Amino acid sequence: MGLFRYRIKTLFKYKDLIKELVGRDLKLKYRRSFLGYVWSILNPLLIMIVMTLVFSAMFRHNIENYPVYLLIGRILFEFTTTSTNSAMKSVTGNAALLKKTYVPKYIFTLAKVTSCMVDMVFSMGALLIVMLATRSPFHWEMVMLPLVILQIYIFCCGLGFLLAQLNVFFRDIQYIYKAITTAWMYLTPIFYPIEQLPVAIQFMIKVFNPLYYYVAQFRDMVLNGQIPGPRIFWGGWLWAFVMLVIGVWSFQRSKDKFILYI
Amino acid sequence: MAKNIIDADHVTIRFNLANEKVNNLKEYAIKMAKHELMFQEFFALKDVSLHVKKGEAWGLIGTNGSGKSTLLKTIAGILKPYTGKVKVRGRIAPLIELGAGFDQELTARENIFLNGAVLGHSREFMEEHFDEIVEFADLEKFLDSPIKNYSSGMKARLGFSVATMVDSEILIVDEVLSVGDYQFRKKCNERMEEMLSGGTTLLYVSHNIDSVKNLCTHALWLDHGDVIMAGDAREVCDAYNSRQEQIVRVVKKEKEVKKAQKKGNKYDYLVVGSGLFGSVFAREAYQAGKRCLVIDKRDHLGGNIYTEKISNIDVHKYGAHIFHTSNKEVWNYVNQFAEFNNYINSPVAVYKDELYNLPFNMNTFSKLWGLRTPAEVQEKIRQQIAELNITEPKNLEEQALSLAGRDVYEKLVKGYTEKQWGRDCKDLPSFIIKRLPLRFTYDNNYFNDRYQGIPEGGYTKIILELLDGIDVKLNTDYKTFIKENGQTFDKVIYTGPIDEYFDYCLGHLEYRSVRFETEELDMPNYQGNAVVNYTDREVPYTRIIEHKHFEFGQQPTTIISREYSAEWKPGMEPYYPVNDEKNNALFEKYRELAAKEPNVIFGGRLGNYKYYNMDQVIEAAFELVKQELKRKVIVETNEAVPEV
Repeated sequence: MGLFRYRIKTLFKYKDLIKELVGRDLKLKYRRSFLGYVWSILNPLLIMIVMTLVFSAMFRHNIENYPVYLLIGRILFEFTTTSTNSAMKSVTGNAALLKKTYVPKYIFTLAKVTSCMVDMVFSMGALLIVMLATRSPFHWEMVMLPLVILQIYIFCCGLGFLLAQLNVFFRDIQYIYKAITTAWMYLTPIFYPIEQLPVAIQFMIKVFNPLYYYVAQFRDMVLNGQIPGPRIFWGGWLWAFVMLVIGVWSFQRSKDKFILYI
Repeated sequence: MAKNIIDADHVTIRFNLANEKVNNLKEYAIKMAKHELMFQEFFALKDVSLHVKKGEAWGLIGTNGSGKSTLLKTIAGILKPYTGKVKVRGRIAPLIELGAGFDQELTARENIFLNGAVLGHSREFMEEHFDEIVEFADLEKFLDSPIKNYSSGMKARLGFSVATMVDSEILIVDEVLSVGDYQFRKKCNERMEEMLSGGTTLLYVSHNIDSVKNLCTHALWLDHGDVIMAGDAREVCDAYNSRQEQIVRVVKKEKEVKKAQKKGNKYDYLVVGSGLFGSVFAREAYQAGKRCLVIDKRDHLGGNIYTEKISNIDVHKYGAHIFHTSNKEVWNYVNQFAEFNNYINSPVAVYKDELYNLPFNMNTFSKLWGLRTPAEVQEKIRQQIAELNITEPKNLEEQALSLAGRDVYEKLVKGYTEKQWGRDCKDLPSFIIKRLPLRFTYDNNYFNDRYQGIPEGGYTKIILELLDGIDVKLNTDYKTFIKENGQTFDKVIYTGPIDEYFDYCLGHLEYRSVRFETEELDMPNYQGNAVVNYTDREVPYTRIIEHKHFEFGQQPTTIISREYSAEWKPGMEPYYPVNDEKNNALFEKYRELAAKEPNVIFGGRLGNYKYYNMDQVIEAAFELVKQELKRKVIVETNEAVPEV
């Protein structure tokens, strides 16, 4: 317990560093672009329009308010891939700093995921705009959305830690992960309704794809106006914490060796 | 007992070199399967212990790759020791190395906050100190440009500024400041000293040993991960320096041997005569990467400036040599090779039982006539000159009389000059004395030069330093050497007599010679001055040199040399060229012969048949260096340049 308290204390001590790092990421992301932060909203919006044009012909009749359906999937998936991808490079990318001064290494991973989350919250603006444009109703269940965001944030942190430490030792993981995310995208009901898949695969996805839990919860609240069922709600928490434990454990185990490989 | 602020006990750091080669999965899997993931160990630190008390300043020295930075990183917590323990009781503000810790894309302003956060400071705290940091780094103008556009010096300035702004308990400086300009280094030095006096502990890595000496109380010398020496900064630094010099010497020698083998064992220069001229040239040629051989027919180095230690007294074997010059470059040059003392030549003259100060100055005149003011003295001399009424001096006597009057001439000039030349002043030509400097101040300093002194430990030491690393053969005559060894060199620097080189084919050049009778006396002090001239004709010697007084010696005995003028005959040691018309004309003829020998350069007093003071010899050697080696002599000044 003492160790845990100590960890919390150092985390608190470095809260300013996390703030600075998150600020850095956000600042640099759109530096020198004309529209700046507006892109956080505009970008998902434009992609949504393109994808809606492409896919709406296919799935139009099955899905009610397809743009919102698509956008929710896109935003969550986009967050998962960008945050884990940048988390993966967080240790190697800050090698210069880590080699010169002592800073807990997980700070950098945490900061990356956090800045991506902030970016995601910005892009929720796009969702808001689309909901207004399509006159989609606002449900009171939406007040629970932060809980879903927290779940996916914790999940991504865990996955980020795992990838970050793996990347230190085998840079190949970057390319492997790229393939994995592509597969992951098609195995997540982002632009298609899950009901269209064969039942066996549906079942696999519903159990083993963590993203399904978050996307489904989100859609339940926004589109269907219902509180998510206990299976996907608690399942989401379970996935988040299992991933976090795996990530933290693997990170802690090898963090002292990082310096020799970066 | 005060607790140490840093305790590093038996720290070993191991790197695995083999793993660096395995960085793809396939290879890893194969090796894993074959159990071939063997270690190729590399120990960056081996059993290093360091204990630092609060307020101490430790310098870490050693060559590249000796483990200095590794140790710093271990102490800073960046590296974990493989074995051993590191305990730090205090907050470390690592002075981040060059440019690191900065995000290249961010501006200086943003980086200051980021850096502050890395060091664990809150944003409010950084805002409070922001102006202070910027002011110290002197970067107000560039605050909003991205760091990637900064020069390395600017980055170092910013890094130093951020890291030292707070009085941390431990400051780590790792060779950061070498890129800063002089002004900033000075500023940093002051800041560090200020922090040190405030009780901050300093760990300092630098290749500038002088700055370690200045700044640090203690030093640790590492070599390939081993501690060679730890303790007092001065001692460790000196030991390190001498080791480095030794290594440099060995490396240089090896290089030379290689070069020599390539060139078929040929020397670039054969320097004949190891006097000041030859030695200065040889050193500069050696520094320029040329291979030199210095030969001397005597059994010792240094030509006539040779000094020999007898009864712990440096005896000027070939007459008194007092170094004086107005050329700052020359003065700095010789000071590289020896420490010069503050000796000032103020000889005294003994005439019968009277004693006078030299050169002729108010002290002298006052003693002669009991007069006190310059006006009285000038009037007296004017009267004496007027009485004689010499309009056109026919000989040296008349010349001297018309210049200084009867009293000065008879008591101080006549006897001395006659002994020097071995004949009556009446029989000497008047041109020998063109003017007699009379000084109307009470100033006994014989020379008018800005710099004056005697090298502590004698002149031989200077020659030894000059010829350090250069091949030397003593007891070697040029002609015999050529006969035996043939042309094993490209060029000759000949500092012997020019007429001897041409086998006196046009006749002998004449010299004035001196003879010395040197004697050790069983008394601490014989005459109370280094130089005493005897100006009456009855005393056979011209002067007595008491060598110990050149260096303010306190030895129990003393050594004196009586100096006799001697008529020079061929075969005698040549001292002073007689630059009269006849001899100068002869020398010109020899010089014409010399022009036909393109591979021989004549230099020095005997080679140029010209009397040189020591500083003039060095100037002449510098000139030759410039012409021959196309190189300017580099003078390292010992003036304290505060380096960081």
